[in-house]
Amino acid sequence: MSWIQILTYLCGAIFIVGFAAKLLKYATMPMHVRWELYPIPHEGKHKSYGGSFYEEIDHWKQERHKDHMAMYMFMLPEILFIRALYEDNKSLWYWSFPFHFGLYLSIAGLAFLTIGAFLQLLGLPPATAIGSFVQSLTILFGVVGYILGLIGVVGLVIKRMTDTELSEVSAPIDYMNLIWLGAIFLTGLLVWFQDPGFAISREYLVSIITFSPMKAQLSLMHYLNLLIFLGFFAYFPFTHMTHMVSKYFMWDKVKFDDDPNRGDPGVDAKIKTYLGYPVTWSAAHIDAQGGRRNWAEIATTNPWTKKEEK
Amino acid sequence: MKPEEISKPGEQLVDLNPQNFATLPPPYENYKESPVAPLTDDQKTRWEHSLDGVSALTLPKPQTPEEEEKLVASFLSGLEKLMTKENNWTFMQPLMLSLEYCAKCQTCADACPVFEASGHKDIYRPTFRADVLRKVAKKYLSPGGKILAGFRGHDIDLNWDLVARLAELAYRCTLCRRCASVCPVGVDNGLITHELRKLFSQELGIAAAEIHEKGSVKHLKFGSSTGMTTAAIGDIIEYLEDDIEEKTGKRIKIPLNKKGAEILLVHNAGEFMSWPENPMAFAILFDAAGIDYTISTDLVGYDAVNYGLWYDDVQFARVAIKHLEIARELGVKKIVIGECGHAHKALSVIADRLLPGDQLIPRESSYTLLWDIVKSGKIKFDPSKNDFPVTLHDPCNAVRLMGIVKPQREVLRAITPPGRFREMTPHGVENYCCGGGSGFAIMSSGNFTDWKIKLSGRKKLQQILGAFQGEMDPELKKMVCAPCSNCKGQIRDIMETYEVYEKTGIWYTGLVEMMVNAMVEQEQPFLDWPGEDEDDDM
Repeated sequence: MSWIQILTYLCGAIFIVGFAAKLLKYATMPMHVRWELYPIPHEGKHKSYGGSFYEEIDHWKQERHKDHMAMYMFMLPEILFIRALYEDNKSLWYWSFPFHFGLYLSIAGLAFLTIGAFLQLLGLPPATAIGSFVQSLTILFGVVGYILGLIGVVGLVIKRMTDTELSEVSAPIDYMNLIWLGAIFLTGLLVWFQDPGFAISREYLVSIITFSPMKAQLSLMHYLNLLIFLGFFAYFPFTHMTHMVSKYFMWDKVKFDDDPNRGDPGVDAKIKTYLGYPVTWSAAHIDAQGGRRNWAEIATTNPWTKKEEK
Repeated sequence: MKPEEISKPGEQLVDLNPQNFATLPPPYENYKESPVAPLTDDQKTRWEHSLDGVSALTLPKPQTPEEEEKLVASFLSGLEKLMTKENNWTFMQPLMLSLEYCAKCQTCADACPVFEASGHKDIYRPTFRADVLRKVAKKYLSPGGKILAGFRGHDIDLNWDLVARLAELAYRCTLCRRCASVCPVGVDNGLITHELRKLFSQELGIAAAEIHEKGSVKHLKFGSSTGMTTAAIGDIIEYLEDDIEEKTGKRIKIPLNKKGAEILLVHNAGEFMSWPENPMAFAILFDAAGIDYTISTDLVGYDAVNYGLWYDDVQFARVAIKHLEIARELGVKKIVIGECGHAHKALSVIADRLLPGDQLIPRESSYTLLWDIVKSGKIKFDPSKNDFPVTLHDPCNAVRLMGIVKPQREVLRAITPPGRFREMTPHGVENYCCGGGSGFAIMSSGNFTDWKIKLSGRKKLQQILGAFQGEMDPELKKMVCAPCSNCKGQIRDIMETYEVYEKTGIWYTGLVEMMVNAMVEQEQPFLDWPGEDEDDDM
């Protein structure tokens, strides 16, 4: 097994562990108090102006109905086309959209390349109809993705450098991240020039899937593209570029979390646990006594009436 | 200005030049705006003001380097506690996500009314204070935070200048959360301001006096943030009954501490003091609609406010638990919250996951109940009694943060003649804050009053004037319906400062006052316009 294959497994493992750890970190945090923001798409079309169940008399007596389809119809264009940016920051969207959409297409291209590798292992290489179809999709998504991504990166770097509103808050690392991604798109494009059907790339994936030595020889450009990509792959989970995590939690679990507390046993159990947490806030009015008192004790004590009673 | 500059020693980080403030619509297009009133030399020597020359907190300057160091260390310790589940289970997840994921796109800036009104002052960007906190957290609290800190963009110096300016900066945001509503990745810089206030209050004991010592402490000590005691509330209710009789010719008994009533009605106690016609109107409407309700005179129970919502989870919990406890003891079926936006959110939304379900009592908005009363037909309204142009202010807490948008509009449409009600631009969940949100309406220390009127309230003044363009003749009376006590306070202060009624004929009131004014059986007008009544104490 070659060093590049070992590096591929290593970076893949770092990515998986790093990303899983990040997801786990947020998923295991305590249930927060409600902090929603309207409009909430699952309230349904008839509440699209931003209305909620609080507009209904005796709302707690009524059955909760969530319009999941409305939620999907809202989130799909948001994720694919970054609608929020389009509506509220169009000058940035012109570059952010091709960048993100290029990224999605490149990932789709990689997914089709992987499917192609599996098909090849199953005896369905690009010479077969299905193999050829998958190869065409790989090329289409990959190449269009690289071009769009590259356009986006160039635009975002220029925008970030020339717009004082952005340049003042941008750090060298922000430019580095963009340029790093741009280098992946660029070298990916150059790989395609040398390997128009991504045949060598597919061979490489076959070797990775089968844990076997490479049959074809990688070119220098393949190596360069792979190294830049693998480095980014391992680095990515530890950066704020994983903002799809935030998009899920902050939208779905914070902004859109309007579930009222109707005495669900699971929710009650969590609240009881949290109320038992020791408090160490130091301000005098909290009266936490350095962690000797818990939330239930301090929240149910009125220090001012207590003093008067004394 | 880069967030790192907040640590820079100096007398004042930025100057506020009124020439840069956002312009106002006619008839104020040539209005010569005055600067924000400066602090006196004596005040400057005593209070921290090095952010923008404004002191909302009247924060005393540390007297020795040791004292400074101790405060800076406490700040860092507080920040660390904010990131632990034991001390901050209430908001830890959204806080950590918001600290980690800002994409630095500045989409939020244009959504912020303070940033816009100030003429785009960098310190008022929603990201500015949040970035300062992010950088301090990354550099001083994350493993290896000081390695390549400049390259990674968080090389900030943590010193007293930073802490003092950040404390003031936590009180330059109204927590309206327009910024969060436009963020493409869902980051909530408003929440970061909220958490920053908590850090200062819960760890360092630093908070605006009006919302802590004179606010939530008074609430828990005397029963109301107004200082109104449990002994006084009974007398005040009696006065209201007298006033109702005078205005309607009918003696109405306001039920107090009625066990087993259907509804516990809770008002912002500021209404009793500043706008008694509001609780009076509720009493008239509820009596006419035959609603079985009560008002509590128990400690805390007659004041719906919960200032802890803006700065302190513990104070918040103490008040919310007391509200729920009183409702349980009275045996009511639901709590109805009067015209107070933040009380709506505090008791309905935030308190919802504070206690197990069996200890909660259903909470409902008065807007919803009022719409239900209108729909029921139990009261006859004559819209021609409200025959003047009307616009509606949307309190952020009840509208954007709770989704109560339609009921108050439906009520207004039912009690005004066709064509008289018009919306502000924008409105509903995209509304702008009155400028008094998050406690600003009641805060008046140092020279803060001037700041909140000229800056945080500027956008609302623009909107109010905008709603009546083409009808600015002062003889033509016009009304802003603001169904929230704190919003009314802020709008009142703006109107007084800019002499809005005198120059344009625009006045303000609540929703229930307009409803009673339109009641068929109400013989005399219920609404008071300035100058109409010699006894008018406005």
